[in-house]
Amino acid sequence: MVDAARQPRIDVRTYTEVEKVEGFVGNFKVTLREKAKHVLADRCNGCGDCAKVCPVEVPNYFEMNLAPRKAAYVPMSQSVPLIYNIDLDACIHCYKCVEACGPLEAIDFSQEDKLVEEDIGAIIVATGFSHFDPSVMEEYGYSRYPNVITSMEMERLNNSAGPTAGNLIRPSDHKNPKRLAFINCVGSRDKRYNPSCSNFCCMYSIKNAVLLKQMNPDVDITIYYMDIRTPSKGYEEFYDRARELGIHFTQGRPSMITEDKETHNLFVHSEDITLGKVIEEEYDMVMLNQAAIPQPDQDHMSSVLNVAQSPGGWFMEYHPKLRPMDSPTDGIFFAGACQGPKDIPSSVAQGSAAASRASRILNSEKWEIEPTVAVVWPERCSATTRGRACGICAKACPYGAINIFSPEIPAEVVTAKCHGCGACVAECPEDAITQLHYTDAQILAQMRALLADKPEEKILAFRCHWCSYGGADLAGTSHFEYTANERGMRVMCSARMDTDFIYEAYRLGAGAVLYSGCHPQDCHYITGQLIGAKRAERLKKMFERMEMTDGRFRVEWISAAEGDKYARVLNEMQTVLDNMDKDELRAEIERLKPDMEKRLKKFPNVPGVSESMAYSDTLVSAINTQKKEPA
Amino acid sequence: MSEQPNEQNNEELRIGVYVCHCGTNIAGVIDPKEVVKFSEGLPNVVHATDTLYACADSGQRLIKEDIKKHKLNRVIVSACSVRMHEPTFRAAVSEAGLNPFLMEMANIREQCTWAHGHDREGALEKAKDLTASAVAKSQFLTPLDMVDVPVTQKAMVIGGGVAGISASLDLAEQGIKTILVEKEPTIGGVMAQLNKTFPTMDCSI
Repeated sequence: MVDAARQPRIDVRTYTEVEKVEGFVGNFKVTLREKAKHVLADRCNGCGDCAKVCPVEVPNYFEMNLAPRKAAYVPMSQSVPLIYNIDLDACIHCYKCVEACGPLEAIDFSQEDKLVEEDIGAIIVATGFSHFDPSVMEEYGYSRYPNVITSMEMERLNNSAGPTAGNLIRPSDHKNPKRLAFINCVGSRDKRYNPSCSNFCCMYSIKNAVLLKQMNPDVDITIYYMDIRTPSKGYEEFYDRARELGIHFTQGRPSMITEDKETHNLFVHSEDITLGKVIEEEYDMVMLNQAAIPQPDQDHMSSVLNVAQSPGGWFMEYHPKLRPMDSPTDGIFFAGACQGPKDIPSSVAQGSAAASRASRILNSEKWEIEPTVAVVWPERCSATTRGRACGICAKACPYGAINIFSPEIPAEVVTAKCHGCGACVAECPEDAITQLHYTDAQILAQMRALLADKPEEKILAFRCHWCSYGGADLAGTSHFEYTANERGMRVMCSARMDTDFIYEAYRLGAGAVLYSGCHPQDCHYITGQLIGAKRAERLKKMFERMEMTDGRFRVEWISAAEGDKYARVLNEMQTVLDNMDKDELRAEIERLKPDMEKRLKKFPNVPGVSESMAYSDTLVSAINTQKKEPA
Repeated sequence: MSEQPNEQNNEELRIGVYVCHCGTNIAGVIDPKEVVKFSEGLPNVVHATDTLYACADSGQRLIKEDIKKHKLNRVIVSACSVRMHEPTFRAAVSEAGLNPFLMEMANIREQCTWAHGHDREGALEKAKDLTASAVAKSQFLTPLDMVDVPVTQKAMVIGGGVAGISASLDLAEQGIKTILVEKEPTIGGVMAQLNKTFPTMDCSI
């Protein structure tokens, strides 16, 4: 902590929150909210005279609310930086602190929150984790029985800098407990709350037990556990040491804690798996090892940073094995428990790893980004053809990367600002914009190939690169099997999924079409998904009006963490096709074809499309020849 | 800058197709040679072959040598996810003098053999179609250059716990200016609240 404050190149901004993140790799613009401390940082010398005279006491979060702090406060005496805060919500405006501060004049009640903009090349997100509140588990009586506490509360009570100066006492009678129990996996590995393991609690409870035992060898300590997990270096040896010290380990998940109303002693009811019987043991105090859970503002941060979350709510890395520190957004990295529960050694290692990933960019003058940007065909823009630029593309662009200077001048894409979602391309009513590497001609040719053979049996699945394609990958990686009739198409964002592609799929006789992208809050392109979703809803209503069989067009938002969902959706779509009579399906395809053709009348005029169609005819016959008579 | 996807097709297209076994990850479910045979009959495919591990040095070398030997100007790699090895193969073709955007992948592992392990016939049909789809796209690919953007040589670390402090120190010690943002009045995070820490039992602050 102190090292960070001393290092001249680190600018520590405490009591500050990230309000907005804009821009792209190498060129982020971050807006910070520097919350008002009502103390001038450059004048406060950390003497604490203000706190001494402050008459107001409120619970201190740092002490797990077991001890008070003043309205003029630092969370702990070793705070870094050592600058006091005046908590205006608690303050009674007696101004004794101002008087005590005297000639330093460090207190300023007029101070307000300040918004500051910073230009940043790369961002490391290390927002950490939060603790599960065990009061929802009524069976353990936390917050009902005074002597059931959390391990974090015990941590403060057992800390020489804590409220009792390290003297562990029972909250009910302030006596030192003699018989103690720790319960592991409270709210973790529990399908009601968090199915996953919190990673560090086994070692954490062993550490606390060892500390207590070393201080007072007479105390009797039992740890209730489901499994003891000690996979890292030195951990198993540490566990051995705990057993040698005489700490008891009972395998079993306690079902209930009851209390003696008189003594406030506690009875832990549990199964002892080793003995194969139900036990009931009496303790003076019970410590609950709460699950590590995402921060309460993790959802909010995820939308500020534009990064996705795994099913448990943690930030999701680009690839769990190959790029564990990278977010899907170039230039934003994760370190520590914000990406999943982690202990201290792993968090430190990840901090270094993320720094190394970020410094690849930060030590370069220039960084390369993908050239899959939008390009306007000026001769097709309504500014040229009708003298009136419609501006739909500029409205669709999530990045303000399209300039419309005047009605007569064709729209212009600012390449450096374009992120390549393709929203403008699909939205342009004149088909005057294309996206490099994802042109209509390319996409059309791919679709033709995928639907060359028995199209009515196929499910053409449009997936966005970042989420649904990742979801499909995860389905495969997890070996969640789904119908092999799926034929996947990949574009960067659901915003690129042009209505023409969907019409063309049905014109070609596709059995079913999936239109899928990220969940609204996860979009890699801010609002790209919203544009895609609006279009998908329009299509859905239209196909309903045409009385297309329900389920032949499906819209689903599937994240890269939802491999199971991808497999399930595809299997459900296969069931829709299986339940249809083959002739009935063929008749429906034929019935809808003329309508699709009508809607596609202008499609061949898009540059490249007629060539793509001509090529695809040759390709389709080659595919079918090959399949009939293997060479 | 206007894109004309067809103009460059005046040049005669010479497509090479590489079907990866990925050990048994792909070849355990389908016969890559079947996909090779199928690809040989597709328009403009002048060379198709299977390879045990396309991503291995030997696989990449094969592709690079073939680009020269067969004068390939499009390369299709039917292997794994683009999220896995697209950068690998883009770099490989680029080393052989081909624009990296003239390489296209077909995902016949994650999205085929791994997802249809119990439907070998269906998986083979799908692998052929996915390969054909990549061949089809390659017909209309154009060479592209990466876009260079300038870099602000300043970092921001959000969160002043043990991970954030560790990241900030490492960046700063490399000479990179770093802003460490913490929402609470002190840095230290959960670790500062802890008594001693395992397994070495040293102080947390």
